Amino acid sequence: MNGHAKRTRSVFITLALAPAIILMTIFMLYPVLSVFQMSLFRWGGYSADKEFIGFANFVTLSKDMNFIRSMQNTILLIVLVTVVTLAFALVFAAILTRVKFLGVGLFRVIFYIPNILSIVVISAIFSAIYDPSQGLLNSVLRIFHASSWQGVQWLGNEKLVIFSVAFALIWQAIGYYMVMYMSAMASIPEDLYESASLDGASVLRQFFTITIPLTWNTIRTTLTFFVISTINLSFLLVTAMTGGGPNGSTEVFLSYMYKQANTNSAYGYGMAIGVVVFVFSFALSAILQAITKRDVYEF
Amino acid sequence: MKKRWLLAAVVMAASTALLAACGSNSGSGANSSSSSSKTLNVAALEGGYGSAAWKAVVKDFGAANPGVKVKLTIDKKLESVVSPKMKAGDYPDVVHLATGRPDALTETMIKSKGMEDLSDVKDMTIPGEKKKVSDVLMPGFDGTLATEPYADGKTYMMPMFYAPTGFFYNATLLKDNGWAVPKTMDELMALGKKAEAKGIALFTYPTTGYLDSMTYSLLADIGGKKYFNDAMGYNHDAWAGKEGTQYFNLVGNLVKQSAKTTVANANNENFRKNQQLILDNKAVFMPNGTWVTSEMKDAPRAKGFKWGFMAVPGVKADDQYAYTYFEQIWVPKKAKNKALAKKFIAFMYSDKATKDFLKGGAVQPVKDVTKQLDAEQKTFYSVYDNGAKVLVGSFQNAKAVEGVNMTDTLFGEITSVTNGTKSISQWQQDVVKAADQLRE
Repeated sequence: MNGHAKRTRSVFITLALAPAIILMTIFMLYPVLSVFQMSLFRWGGYSADKEFIGFANFVTLSKDMNFIRSMQNTILLIVLVTVVTLAFALVFAAILTRVKFLGVGLFRVIFYIPNILSIVVISAIFSAIYDPSQGLLNSVLRIFHASSWQGVQWLGNEKLVIFSVAFALIWQAIGYYMVMYMSAMASIPEDLYESASLDGASVLRQFFTITIPLTWNTIRTTLTFFVISTINLSFLLVTAMTGGGPNGSTEVFLSYMYKQANTNSAYGYGMAIGVVVFVFSFALSAILQAITKRDVYEF
Repeated sequence: MKKRWLLAAVVMAASTALLAACGSNSGSGANSSSSSSKTLNVAALEGGYGSAAWKAVVKDFGAANPGVKVKLTIDKKLESVVSPKMKAGDYPDVVHLATGRPDALTETMIKSKGMEDLSDVKDMTIPGEKKKVSDVLMPGFDGTLATEPYADGKTYMMPMFYAPTGFFYNATLLKDNGWAVPKTMDELMALGKKAEAKGIALFTYPTTGYLDSMTYSLLADIGGKKYFNDAMGYNHDAWAGKEGTQYFNLVGNLVKQSAKTTVANANNENFRKNQQLILDNKAVFMPNGTWVTSEMKDAPRAKGFKWGFMAVPGVKADDQYAYTYFEQIWVPKKAKNKALAKKFIAFMYSDKATKDFLKGGAVQPVKDVTKQLDAEQKTFYSVYDNGAKVLVGSFQNAKAVEGVNMTDTLFGEITSVTNGTKSISQWQQDVVKAADQLRE
């Protein structure tokens, strides 16, 4: 290739990449950087006067018990939703791909339905289920109790309410991850299972020594999805269902950030929370990726 | 090679067109307003009174001002419609949005000094009439922190709709049981014992946000207007002292008598279930505003149900305040048509506008308006004729303190007192701490 052709080639590459890079800079890079920049200011959100205060917002944040509680709630939700959903989704996926029975397709659809529903609909459904007097849950429990039984305050008990939120999140997430695992499991060659069963491996043994290792890469990828989607969906569900209440006991990262940035006129402080969420989700995903790293098995 | 160049050129052209499309919005808007006709952008909250009245008023104003086009933005969640535009520098000319909303856009505008001084509106002649705005404005509605947020004698917000607040109840329930309407907190608590014997809870509240009016009335009942203003100014002694303790004990003991399901339903999704308790005779009293009757008009109810309304019981007999909700209208400092905006606000107090709003059930604070009310509205608005004193204003505008929110602490923590997670004294300590931080 002579010099002229080389130059033409590099100009072409630059021009071809330019649109993507320009759009990426405007819509991704610039907003993220301005969040970082705004977190260093005391600013109400509308006024012209921004006061540079360095890292003072982060110092306040480390002492703000309400923020720490919202962080605890988020972490609890991430752990609970990930562990429980992962377990159920894997088992259901294995059953639906390995076991042949009537209505496999129907079950696949039924499991996936919650994922299509809007979070607002889910919050309405679970508000009805958790209703203390006429709700589905308390009505079932009332069978085992005396008629004077008051019922469990699923959304009114401050120690219980975060688990009520977690259950709704798990319910809506299982189908989505199940479908992902199913597609990974479907590509495992049937002869592996055949030879394993000839060698006398039980179904359980096959699950742990064939299915799990061969879907490991998909599982690792979904761990990152779990972190991101729990942070996002918990905000939507909490906003629609409990409003962060009673008394802040279901406040999560983003709902607290929204409250500080908009309701409390502390926009800079809200952006500081945004920075923490950004760093936290990146770090957590990186840690999860690092500790789940295994040799990839090929079939 | 030619083909590649062509491809690159097409890709570049496509992306430029995409970017240009993003920016073209503001350009075309500027062009249209430069012509002879002016466009007045009015943003109004669609409250419990609906949107028909606003549309009628806007039409009337447009008819009286040829050449002026009024663009009305009306929404139940006005904040989410206008605030993204405002952050981008596109401000409406007139905003009808009260303080005390969950998103606190009005408070944010106050804190960032983003409002236009409206002091001269009171001296303006009402368009189409001979009277001045100050001639028709009801006394007691200006000169408070709700219209002069910086307490400097300058009006930044004009009063729009007002409604008395107090406790709602089933008048038939009280009459059938021979219970007298309680005038003091002691009488109220005594009634609670009688109701409990019948398996009826004394109290419920839709969400903790509804406890603000009760709190304000009680504070004024306990220590008078001077004390009320001290408390609203985050005074340490007002919250930590004798009167403060009395307030926390009164409210704490009252909410402990709430219906069992109150806290679980005290959220935006389920608050109507708490209001339903009154209709079902499962709770006796709830704090609310006059809109509740239309909000619950299709709900099932106990036989013979009739809405009753009373001022919040005081601490001494015959000394009650009834807190008045009122909504404000204001002009952002960055609005484009400020003069026209002020004229529009002056028009709000005209006979025509008042009548339009009354049709939707919204009552303007203009003289003689109570004569035009219907029977049900009269029972609410007559609370002041029955001896209760008018109380307006709310927390003083304080500098935003990161992570500290007075209303979240003062009202939000009441749920924890109701379900027994927090003691009354812990609640008081938290409020005093928040007040101290906000005052500094």
